[in-house]
Amino acid sequence: MEGEARRRWILKISVTLIYLFLLAPIFIVVAAAFNSGEFLRFPPEGFSFRWFQRFLDSQPFVDAFLFSLRLAIVVTILATLIGTAAAFYVVRHSRRFRDLLRLMIILPLPVPAILTGIALLIFFYAIGIGTQGSIALVIGHTLICLPYVFLTVSSVLVGFNQSLEEAARNLGAGPWTTFWRITLPIIKGAMISGAVFAFIISFDQFPISLLLAGVGSTPLPLQLFDYLRFSFDPTAAAVSTISIVMTVIVVLITERLVGLESLYWGKR
Amino acid sequence: MSTASGANRVLERITRIPFGLNRMILLIVPAFFLVLIFFIGPYLYLLYMSFMSQAPAAPYESTPTLENYSIAIRDSFNWRVIRTTLQFGVLTTLITLVLAYPLAYHLARASSRVKGILLILVLSPLLVGIVIRSYGWMILLADTGLVNQALGVFGLGPYSLMYNQTGVMIALVHIYMPFMVLPLAGSLQNIDPDIEGASRSLGASPWTTFWRVTWPLSLPGVAAGSILVFVLTISAYVIPALLGGYNVMTLPLLVVQTVSQLFNWPLGSALAMVFFAITIAIIWLYMKFLNWMMRGLT
Repeated sequence: MEGEARRRWILKISVTLIYLFLLAPIFIVVAAAFNSGEFLRFPPEGFSFRWFQRFLDSQPFVDAFLFSLRLAIVVTILATLIGTAAAFYVVRHSRRFRDLLRLMIILPLPVPAILTGIALLIFFYAIGIGTQGSIALVIGHTLICLPYVFLTVSSVLVGFNQSLEEAARNLGAGPWTTFWRITLPIIKGAMISGAVFAFIISFDQFPISLLLAGVGSTPLPLQLFDYLRFSFDPTAAAVSTISIVMTVIVVLITERLVGLESLYWGKR
Repeated sequence: MSTASGANRVLERITRIPFGLNRMILLIVPAFFLVLIFFIGPYLYLLYMSFMSQAPAAPYESTPTLENYSIAIRDSFNWRVIRTTLQFGVLTTLITLVLAYPLAYHLARASSRVKGILLILVLSPLLVGIVIRSYGWMILLADTGLVNQALGVFGLGPYSLMYNQTGVMIALVHIYMPFMVLPLAGSLQNIDPDIEGASRSLGASPWTTFWRVTWPLSLPGVAAGSILVFVLTISAYVIPALLGGYNVMTLPLLVVQTVSQLFNWPLGSALAMVFFAITIAIIWLYMKFLNWMMRGLT
């Protein structure tokens, strides 16, 4: 079985190389942010925080970062509330139109977001709202994030043992008490993972933002994109690193709250 | 308890809807109207717009015409853009499949402890924004970038790896790889290793075992991953824009340019509808394929 061992090694080495390929660009961005030189070179020129200082001094980047954060929070709240309510209705109370409603809510997911952005852009101009302010962005982002919340909460509700709720009702609890004391604790995990998905999708969203961002309301990915078209000095790397760190923090908090598996599989 | 249930009764009465309608319907109302007004509505309007006439001063003129579609498909430039986009889709899908297969196989056969870590490695790029990952490739592939510096040590290059199709391809393969690995690993995981073992012990070479046993059984995963990667690739905007530096024109770039820079809404809408039709056709073909696969299994 000498050939067997050799094949196993070939598989291991190629797999390692492919993982390297998968992760290299991300590590490179972080490395560039802490490198003191204008360009990343080997050997590195030294460790420095100057690009982070540049970021803090750059009004457009700071504004875009704060705007993206606010946008993502608003969108997360909207998508979580609307998506959870919709999941409840579709799983528990819909009859004839169940499949149609499910398809309708999930539809924004498989359709290319860039097309949805185009359709929304023309639509918002046609009804006279245009892209003034950030109402168009909020609606566009919520539309894209809704299916994630809907799917994670639905998957839990489908496996939900309703006799728990009936028991609570039989013991004299009202519908609201039952909801707060029984239903909510069980679906909480799914709601949180759905919300985290929504937050990350909104914070990193590009195609919708490209088309619907108005003057003075530029989300971070769009600001970064515009910057990179003309220069790629490491200020962009510092911004990217901060954005990566933020995502990691959000994921770690979720891990603490509900466990990481629920983030991937929408379990619990 | 009694005051609580009293309050609940009052609340129930307030929220009750007349005409015997189930008040639970209120739960679906926000989602229903959000999708109806801001998703289905805009797409129908886009369809309508694609049949309007172009106007020199205004975004469009409301005289119905089929001209936009004939320009969208028959104009040689547009046709070339559509062909380039589809080529990128096919090539990216094939390369991603070849690279993702060993990764997925390794992942599916890993022990459950290692699997968790590997899964995080595969998925973590998805948590990093697409603009940031493209930027990583710009640092690597630029004329004075890390790859060319490394090649320079061996006296090779510099090669121009960015602002052309090569750079776009590399980044596309990288960014959509996780979408190939996950479905593949899912279907490879369902293959009992004993089946491969049986094939080997009956004298089949590893090569034969792979093509006659493993590959056919993994086809549902191959199909799911391929369709996902293809659809995502042809609708990519950031990568062709940043790594192609607008030297590489794809359908999404063309649609956005036509609508938001040339303000030619009718033509942009027609191009968008063509794009939409291509996407739907591919998803439909995939469904057909899956049905056909399932029939083969039962």
